[in-house]
Amino acid sequence: MRDASTCQPAAIAGPSISPPASARPERRQARAGAVLIAPALVLMLLILILPVIVAAVLSFTDYTLGRSGLGWVGLENYADIFTRSSYRKMIAATVLYVAVTVPVSVGLGLGAALLIRAVRVGADLYRTVYFLPVMASLLAMAIVWEFALHPSLGLVNRTLEQGCGTGLELWPWYARGCAEGFPLWLSDRDYALWTLAFIGIWQSFGFNMVLYLAGLTSVPRDLYAAAEMDGVRSGWARFRLITWPMLGPTTVFVVTISTIRSFQVFDTVEALTHGGPAKSTYVMIYAIYEKGIAQNLVGMGAAITVLFLGFVMAISVAQRRFVERKVHYA
Amino acid sequence: MATLELRDIRKSFGGTEVLRGVSLDIADGEFLSLVGPSGCGKSTLLRILAGLESQTSGSVHIGPDCVDGQRAADRDLSMVFQSYALYPHLTVAENIAVPLTMRRLRARDRLPLVGPLMPGAGARRADIACTVREAAETLGIAHLLGRKPGQLSGGQRQRVALGRALVRDPAAFLLDEPLSNLDAKMRVHMRAEIAQLNRRLGATFVYVTHDQAEAMTMSDRIAVMTDGELLQVGTPDSLYDDPADIRVARFIGSPAINLLPVETGSGGAILLAGRDSGLRSGPLPVAHIGIRPEALIPCDGPGLIAGRVTMIENLGSDLFVQLRAEGLAETVTLRLPSEARGKVAPGDLMHLRARPGRARGFDSMGQAAPLRAEVTTDA
Repeated sequence: MRDASTCQPAAIAGPSISPPASARPERRQARAGAVLIAPALVLMLLILILPVIVAAVLSFTDYTLGRSGLGWVGLENYADIFTRSSYRKMIAATVLYVAVTVPVSVGLGLGAALLIRAVRVGADLYRTVYFLPVMASLLAMAIVWEFALHPSLGLVNRTLEQGCGTGLELWPWYARGCAEGFPLWLSDRDYALWTLAFIGIWQSFGFNMVLYLAGLTSVPRDLYAAAEMDGVRSGWARFRLITWPMLGPTTVFVVTISTIRSFQVFDTVEALTHGGPAKSTYVMIYAIYEKGIAQNLVGMGAAITVLFLGFVMAISVAQRRFVERKVHYA
Repeated sequence: MATLELRDIRKSFGGTEVLRGVSLDIADGEFLSLVGPSGCGKSTLLRILAGLESQTSGSVHIGPDCVDGQRAADRDLSMVFQSYALYPHLTVAENIAVPLTMRRLRARDRLPLVGPLMPGAGARRADIACTVREAAETLGIAHLLGRKPGQLSGGQRQRVALGRALVRDPAAFLLDEPLSNLDAKMRVHMRAEIAQLNRRLGATFVYVTHDQAEAMTMSDRIAVMTDGELLQVGTPDSLYDDPADIRVARFIGSPAINLLPVETGSGGAILLAGRDSGLRSGPLPVAHIGIRPEALIPCDGPGLIAGRVTMIENLGSDLFVQLRAEGLAETVTLRLPSEARGKVAPGDLMHLRARPGRARGFDSMGQAAPLRAEVTTDA
């Protein structure tokens, strides 16, 4: 009767003795929860975390695909990135590209969204037209741009030539173009990155516009009425007092997305310039592709990838900080 | 401080006319409530008065001036919104200060960074901060000046919205259902506070609400609106006791007035469920009589109405008894004093008569049709 003797006191003591730990509902639920999240956790580790770790490990080696072994090179790859001029140019080109495209495409996106909100008719047409480049394949569009920007046959330079002999020649840059020929947009190192930045802006501002349009719909109309009652007369004062602060969360999101997308620019570089001329458009993703895949220098490619991840991570962290501190008011 | 005047205001949205010629005079310092069911056009009327919307025809006058074509920012009115419409990124102090910074500071004083360096800007800002503090103290929110609206309760936000309205000493205050987002207890508290504010400031208040209890408790005068028209404008007492329209009678008072269909027989005798009620019509035939629940009293013999008790609502201070009257489709509501508790039960048969002079007649169009002096049916 051992069972009875162990059972008896528990039954008499009632609530003062708790049931065995494993039977408590919290424990059971925790165990079920762990089982349920396990597949997602495993997948995340395999698909997202593990490749990053592998890339990080490879970045300290001279591994190339097909070779059986790998040699540890320590920080040599990273040292190269920060000392060799081609990698310094890579960082400079990437940062310049991001620094130009992000503010301009965010500014244009916001401006277009505000204008579309203001027009009575045709808002849908404008919205569609501005959004078209976002939906189009950038690679296909790049080919169109290549034709348009062709130095002698392209639409751009031939249009510019039509202006020669007019008042436009008072502009020294224009006069020089008429005399010596207009720029080789994609093969002049002073112009190539700016041209790519222009295409990047053309392609992405419609996306920002759509995000801002969504953000604008969530600004309560009453606030504008209240501002009017409070004596806010000019559109600029209204923008400063209401629209801009209320779009804070949207702006943080738009800037983050635009920055990450600009860091990732690849299609136009691959299609139009191949990183040249003189490495002036040698942006990071293109460098990763060229080193890691085209030249099979996987270790070097991995090192650039890790640096790239570092940039993107820094932006995401900055965004989180900013979001928590400044732009949410509730 | 100013009088407000609306002359024959009409407003159409597309083909639908939401205001059909509303004329209203509001005296200086008066508390006027615009009440009506939702969709009756009262908020539109307020927004036209404010200048946030333009009328299709008619004119608006503030004091001696016609303000048609003048934008809201120039009309010197303050408004409190149902949603409070506080700027969520500004502190309470900054929110209350907005009407002053927009009016007293020049555009260049308001520039970020360099604004405070402009000559004279510092003194003006100090002056504004002082006025803001006074307004906050008036409303008992001085301790909240550093918080953001998101950190405040509904009642506190309401006060901030009021503070922003009164900080500037406007010609009149417009309030658009300001209490409808508060819980019942806070609403009762705030309505007393707003009425006091009106008396203390001596300012003109125009108060839009769909809640007749708010209008009754706070107003000097009430304007009842339905379907874009003013039905009656008058003191709370006159609207309650002498409604000019059956819709006013129905809207004002809780529980609602008892409206009983009647027929007018020969000699003006008013027949209720086929029996002579003892009431006599005036020159106009009467189609309905209205009797407030407290104007009905129980009697022993056959009175005006006889019916069985179907439900008793005990409010503590009062007892509301619902009867199903013989020969009538409508239930009849009767108010009894608290002493009657326990003396009536569902199923009881009760005879009721009207207090002398408290029954009101309405013709078939719903207009008030005065009754002749009554003959009591029951001694």
